[in-house]
Amino acid sequence: MTRRHAALGFLGLALVVYPFVDRNNSHVDFLANAGAFILLALGLNIVVGFAGLLDLGYAAFFAIGSYSYAMLASQQFGIHVPFWLMLLIAPVVAALFGLLLGAPTLRLRGDYLAIVTLGFGEIVPQTFLNLSQYTNGPNGISSLDQPSLFGHAFGFSATPYYYVLLGLIALGILAARNLQNSRLGRAWMAIREDELAARHMGINTTATKLAAFALGASFSGLAGVVYAAKLDLVSPDEFGFNVSVLVLSMLVLGGMGNIWGVIVGSFVLSFINSFLLPQSTSLAHAAGFVNVDFTNYRFMLYGVILVTMMLFRPEGLIPSRQRAAEFHEAILDPALAAQEQSEYEGVAR
Amino acid sequence: MQTIAATSRLAALAALVGLVGCSGTTTTTTSQSSSGSASAVAGATVIKIGIDMPVSGADASTGIPTRNGAVQAIEEADRKGAPAGFTFVAYDLDDAVQGVHDPAQGAQNTRAFVSDDAVLAMIGPFNSSVARAEIPITNDAGLAQISASATNPGLTKGPDAASLRTSHPDVNSFFRVCTTDDRQGAAGAQFARKLGLKKAFIVDDNETYGKGLADVFDAQFRSLGGTVLGHEHLTKGQTDYKALLTKANALGPDVIFYGGTTATGGGLLRKQMRDAGMAATAYLGGDGISDAEFETVAGDAANGVYYTVAAPETSKLPSAAGFVAAYKKRWSTDVGPYSANAYAAANIEIAAIEKAIVAGGAKTPARADVLKNVAATNGFPSPIGPIGFDKNGDTTNPILTVYKIANGKGVFVDQINLKS
Amino acid sequence: MDVFFQQIVNGLSLGGIYALIALGYTMVYGIIELINFAHGDVYTLGTFFSLAILTGLGVSGEMHGLPLVGVVLVTLIAAMLLCGLTGVLIERLAYRRLRNAPRLAPLITAIGMSFILENVMQLWHGPSPISFPEVIPNPAWALGGVEVSAKQIAVIGLAIVMMAALQLFIYKTKMGKAMRATAQDRDAAQLMGIDINTTIAVTFLIGSALAGAAGFVSGVYYGTTWFFNGFEAGLKAFTAAVLGGIGNVAGAMLGGFLIGLIEAIATQYIPGGAQWTNVVVFSVLVLVLIFRPSGLLGESLPEKV
Repeated sequence: MTRRHAALGFLGLALVVYPFVDRNNSHVDFLANAGAFILLALGLNIVVGFAGLLDLGYAAFFAIGSYSYAMLASQQFGIHVPFWLMLLIAPVVAALFGLLLGAPTLRLRGDYLAIVTLGFGEIVPQTFLNLSQYTNGPNGISSLDQPSLFGHAFGFSATPYYYVLLGLIALGILAARNLQNSRLGRAWMAIREDELAARHMGINTTATKLAAFALGASFSGLAGVVYAAKLDLVSPDEFGFNVSVLVLSMLVLGGMGNIWGVIVGSFVLSFINSFLLPQSTSLAHAAGFVNVDFTNYRFMLYGVILVTMMLFRPEGLIPSRQRAAEFHEAILDPALAAQEQSEYEGVAR
Repeated sequence: MQTIAATSRLAALAALVGLVGCSGTTTTTTSQSSSGSASAVAGATVIKIGIDMPVSGADASTGIPTRNGAVQAIEEADRKGAPAGFTFVAYDLDDAVQGVHDPAQGAQNTRAFVSDDAVLAMIGPFNSSVARAEIPITNDAGLAQISASATNPGLTKGPDAASLRTSHPDVNSFFRVCTTDDRQGAAGAQFARKLGLKKAFIVDDNETYGKGLADVFDAQFRSLGGTVLGHEHLTKGQTDYKALLTKANALGPDVIFYGGTTATGGGLLRKQMRDAGMAATAYLGGDGISDAEFETVAGDAANGVYYTVAAPETSKLPSAAGFVAAYKKRWSTDVGPYSANAYAAANIEIAAIEKAIVAGGAKTPARADVLKNVAATNGFPSPIGPIGFDKNGDTTNPILTVYKIANGKGVFVDQINLKS
Repeated sequence: MDVFFQQIVNGLSLGGIYALIALGYTMVYGIIELINFAHGDVYTLGTFFSLAILTGLGVSGEMHGLPLVGVVLVTLIAAMLLCGLTGVLIERLAYRRLRNAPRLAPLITAIGMSFILENVMQLWHGPSPISFPEVIPNPAWALGGVEVSAKQIAVIGLAIVMMAALQLFIYKTKMGKAMRATAQDRDAAQLMGIDINTTIAVTFLIGSALAGAAGFVSGVYYGTTWFFNGFEAGLKAFTAAVLGGIGNVAGAMLGGFLIGLIEAIATQYIPGGAQWTNVVVFSVLVLVLIFRPSGLLGESLPEKV
């Protein structure tokens, strides 16, 4: 336990000093973007990983968070709510939309829920695009208010946002951990494993699922605010189905239900997507292979990762023991079963 | 006087860039303020030109040909022989994440260019929304940036543009070789009225370029006495426009104006007009449909279509034919709608860099000098006609040409000069 | 009024393509409860295969008489066969192993397969739209003030014929019976001596073959294709399948035609309607699911225990 704490402390320290060591702001920018996606993944993990509800339109809440910052903190309507206050407001707005969508739909069977959320994910960005008198349509809203801290404006460097995100992720991890171990967290787990049984145990399944939906949405509302402020721009093409799938894939890669797994998964995919693929092509060109073009194979690589992970390690790189056991239930892995048993006893004790 | 002031500001900027650059890791290039011996090392000093385009997923169809145009210019310049001791290299990055252009990725790529001291200029991005995210960064770094295709007027003009130049409000780093939507929309409206078309039905693709173009056409066409029967926006990914065309046809328009590109629906829209009983209705668009792809998609229905191109008639320029042939040879495909623009943009930057090298006595030039030379571009010969930039970074050549497709080829119809 | 009926014709012909794709979705979902995201791309693959076959046959323009019938039949059947085999291959490689895994696992795999197929098609024909030869002559007939073209009749007709054939297959053949049994209770079906693997493979074969047929007609109908076509069409077709009642063949057909009609009618009667079609379609979907979760023709089933 102490060793683990030491490792965490070291990692935290390394992340804090990183921008001082690497003066290449594009790297810090990359980390900040990846941070926003980690926040998204932590939120989706509550819905998909903890409660086992499949949400295919998660990007809609990201859009709602981003657009609420853009509308409430810019010249658009002349409203200027401070950034720090928006960090409180936007999650609430997103959570309200989560409730709005969830209340009528959460009693649906799992796959139907997936489709409803998919539909919602299509409707929201398209509506932001179409209501051009309020949102500037395809141009999006730019020149958002810049955050400032103790009178110092953030400016255009990625570094201040990097620290904000670092802080939010730390808070997010704490919140997710506490939720997971709470009564609510156990109720989620029960619903995930057997909804019918959970209901018979006296769990109010609808309310419990709604809580997961709203809490998950609030994380992406938070991510939306920081992302919008950092980019100084919100445009409707940033929130499509592909973003929902990207975040879902991050969970799958890292390990659904495991907070650290989700973080690793989203970092790895962000790294591949935003750094490795764009940069490696350029390196190949610079090395004289002018006809090599990795970006042409981007979707191939991406698809292969998803398929092979699911086939050979569906529990993700860093699995949650519970979820791993669920994935391998059919295979009846004795070692895992024993592990689960001992963990269960540990909890009971 | 003004130029001196501007130069000193740019010099200050260059010093800043040098300062940021020195803390980086690469050491091959240095700003003028240092001793200058670095560039005299054995082997050629690499000068990179950054290219930022969406080249994967759904955006690949427009992004790849545009990037190719720029890469081709850089390769040709290098083969032809860069100034002694230097070699040109393209540093191209993809700004599409998960198959769609992404402003955040564009910004990150731009920071990558800025952080690399060897990058002296950049080409891109393709989309206006991505440009909004990138301009503040190149403005801060004093890096010359030319877009081949981002046509939204607000990127260069008015309070919108001013808000993008956050670090150095007086310095412009963003240029474009395409004209702005307002000019093309106006030229289209003028031409439609000249043809005697009275009633227009307007369709756009609901993207920055297409909607911008269509909105201007809408306003101009009305102000010139025309009637606009309807203005609809397409939904991304749709391929069936028969319902929309039936709606339009019922209103009896003389002309369908299309704001958008071939890939976002321009070709299919035209093709399906015939099925909707509108074969005889005129069809007018902007340079977004001025590609070979339009004829591929629309087939026979392409004949009779009018489109505007924001450049003088190019068929008489030998460089255009030469470029098209060379492109086909290098990439084994036909040019895209913005390939020639990107080729021209890269050549402007290469010329600016070479000029700076000569002026600086064969030393690696500073970004500020390159930017100054790019801004001073005037009458630069290119496949899309002579190019120059005004103080906003827009092309100074407000001459537009109208073409009509006959036998699958665009034929010169009219020239519109918006200066007069 | 003419405009209204013209929009009905427009909607039905668009819906015919959705319906053909939706049949495959609904069959696969019915039997293994998987939203086969790669299905839309199998449909696009159908246009690519058809194009390759037509090119191989040396066809580049309009044909008439007997050669036309021959070319259409050969291309249609070959495209269906190739797509069917692709479907079987995908099932064997990517889904079979995950049959007993939690739902999310095969779904993610399907998304991965979709990416792979899209990429393969991009490498095959490049990123730009490609033209598809207009094999079928396209005369149009005016019925009252409504114009109906030969291609529109072909699309609608093919969709109905295919659905009828599928219904016959499912309800009149032994294999069809096996499919229904497997859909109802896989374990019990297995105990009854049904070869589950073969049955599921046949389901994929037929579903994907129908997507191949949809690919061929859409190529002929629109005269163009693109590697990314399947994404949007797949989403709409899946919506159609859910709307009709997933797992229900007639429902998929009904849903497909309805979605086509909704799009056409919304475009006509909502001011600025073209940009709202997707919002309307998906809103209808959400509302149907809330008030009639089993879809229009589906039986209402409690959650499987």
